[in-house]
Amino acid sequence: MSSTAAIATSGLSKDYGSGHGLFDLDLEVRRGEVFGFLGPNGAGKSTTMRLLLDLIKPSSGSARLLGLDSRSESLQIRRRVGFLPGDFALFGMLSGQVVLDYFAALRGGLDRRTRDSLVERFDADLSRPVRELSTGNRQKLGLIQAFMHEPELLILDEPITGLDPLVQQSFHELLGELSNEGRTVFLSSHTLSEVERVTDRLAILRQGRLVVVDSLENLRKVAVQRLEIEFASPPSPEQFERLAGVSQAVLDGRILTVAFEGSADAVVKAAASHEVLSIRPRDGDLEEIFLRYYRAEPPA
Amino acid sequence: MIVPEFKMTLRLRAVSTVSAGIGMIFMLIIVGALFPAVGHSIGRLKIPKGVSELLGGADYGTITGWYRSEVGSIYGPLVIAGLAIVGAAATTAGEEEDRILALVLAHPVERRRLVVSKAAAIALVVLITAAVTLAGLLAGVALAGGGISTGHLAAYTVQLAFFGFATGAVALAVGAGTGRRALANGVAGAFAIAGWLINGFAPLVGAIAWLKYLSLFHYYAAGDQLTGGIDLGAIAVLGLFSLALVGVAMLGLERRDLRA
Repeated sequence: MSSTAAIATSGLSKDYGSGHGLFDLDLEVRRGEVFGFLGPNGAGKSTTMRLLLDLIKPSSGSARLLGLDSRSESLQIRRRVGFLPGDFALFGMLSGQVVLDYFAALRGGLDRRTRDSLVERFDADLSRPVRELSTGNRQKLGLIQAFMHEPELLILDEPITGLDPLVQQSFHELLGELSNEGRTVFLSSHTLSEVERVTDRLAILRQGRLVVVDSLENLRKVAVQRLEIEFASPPSPEQFERLAGVSQAVLDGRILTVAFEGSADAVVKAAASHEVLSIRPRDGDLEEIFLRYYRAEPPA
Repeated sequence: MIVPEFKMTLRLRAVSTVSAGIGMIFMLIIVGALFPAVGHSIGRLKIPKGVSELLGGADYGTITGWYRSEVGSIYGPLVIAGLAIVGAAATTAGEEEDRILALVLAHPVERRRLVVSKAAAIALVVLITAAVTLAGLLAGVALAGGGISTGHLAAYTVQLAFFGFATGAVALAVGAGTGRRALANGVAGAFAIAGWLINGFAPLVGAIAWLKYLSLFHYYAAGDQLTGGIDLGAIAVLGLFSLALVGVAMLGLERRDLRA
């Protein structure tokens, strides 16, 4: 395990029995990066985060955060870490102001300026009782309490749950600023679209086991790509299916959708033998590779 | 420095504490006002031995017996134990079940300090309620025509407070050790009620008379404070019992995983 990593785990396991839990997690998150931690529900993402914060104890293995042992030096770690749990909840009868004051007091008091700027950035309502707030407005309080002490490491479990697109944008901008300042963000999600705009690298977890750790760039290289080509008159799909790297060609009227891996050169050259009206890449190609990891069939 | 967990627990228990205090004062004044009108007639009733033991002797014909039975055996311990048990269970297991405790413990907060802060806050709730009870008793006894000294009433409320500490400590230990609010309320409530029954009935049967020493009620009622003053031995037992269970609560929370 690297002592300079923001997070480094070695064989970290939590066995709940019946195949549930987390098993032999070896993971390194570098300082200053925004790291996505993906997996379907129940994959072990929240368990990992709870282990890192010493809320639960590992069955075996160990973890170091900011160079400190997650068990014996947990108190020092928690001073330097901000956490947003996936099942974030607060005292319903109290206002956001009182709740944030409480969390600040647990840290021995904080400079109000950072908190005030976060409140302004997220347009959070601190005056109403928490139980009267919508899910998204409660989540804003969760983000503020996680960020307001300017932690070196942020551990965020499903952070954009319930946030509207504008707040999501503010949140993504904030992550970018933190990364530029050299702070580390470790955030989980069960969908790629939530994290692909902000993460440098990501890991995919399935059934408690790590299946891949890589950069988005590298994952895109092996992802299935799709082109939608509109022709003046319909071509034969078989002509395209015979091309190297093409896995599928589907004709719908005059529009042919071609799925392929690697270079688009052969597809484009084949299309050029017909009158082409338009060519569009189709979104969602990276989602497909993630779904394949989720379904336990890693891409070839 | 007052730690934030202590202040927050007090804040969250404020409504129930004030409500219980108002109810207690109202009830104690009513009890006092009723004595001149009904005390002597009820005092002539023949009550079976077992039942009268449960009711603190059921000597309704005297002001001390009236208060011993009405307040000392029923309302006083019921209110103080209710507040202490529900408060202690809510502040540990309740916060865990409400998914707040995990976030609190993701802050630089030691689990032991958290338990001690919450125990201290519940103890203060009990003390405030005991003080309110003393005020209500003074007013009620004055309305009844007097007959119990302020010192004896104060002795009773001190012993009542220690009974509250002990019942609350049971809920705190179970709540902190299991993270289950219903279990904490149930175990502590059952322990208190069983203690009340044992203290009433066990002395009637020689073979099980020793069981009374396992009852918190035995120590709560020891010394008959309304006539005899405070029983320091009983206070020591209730106090040590409470401290020991706070220690159990600290170890219980320290050594286990928080519930998901």
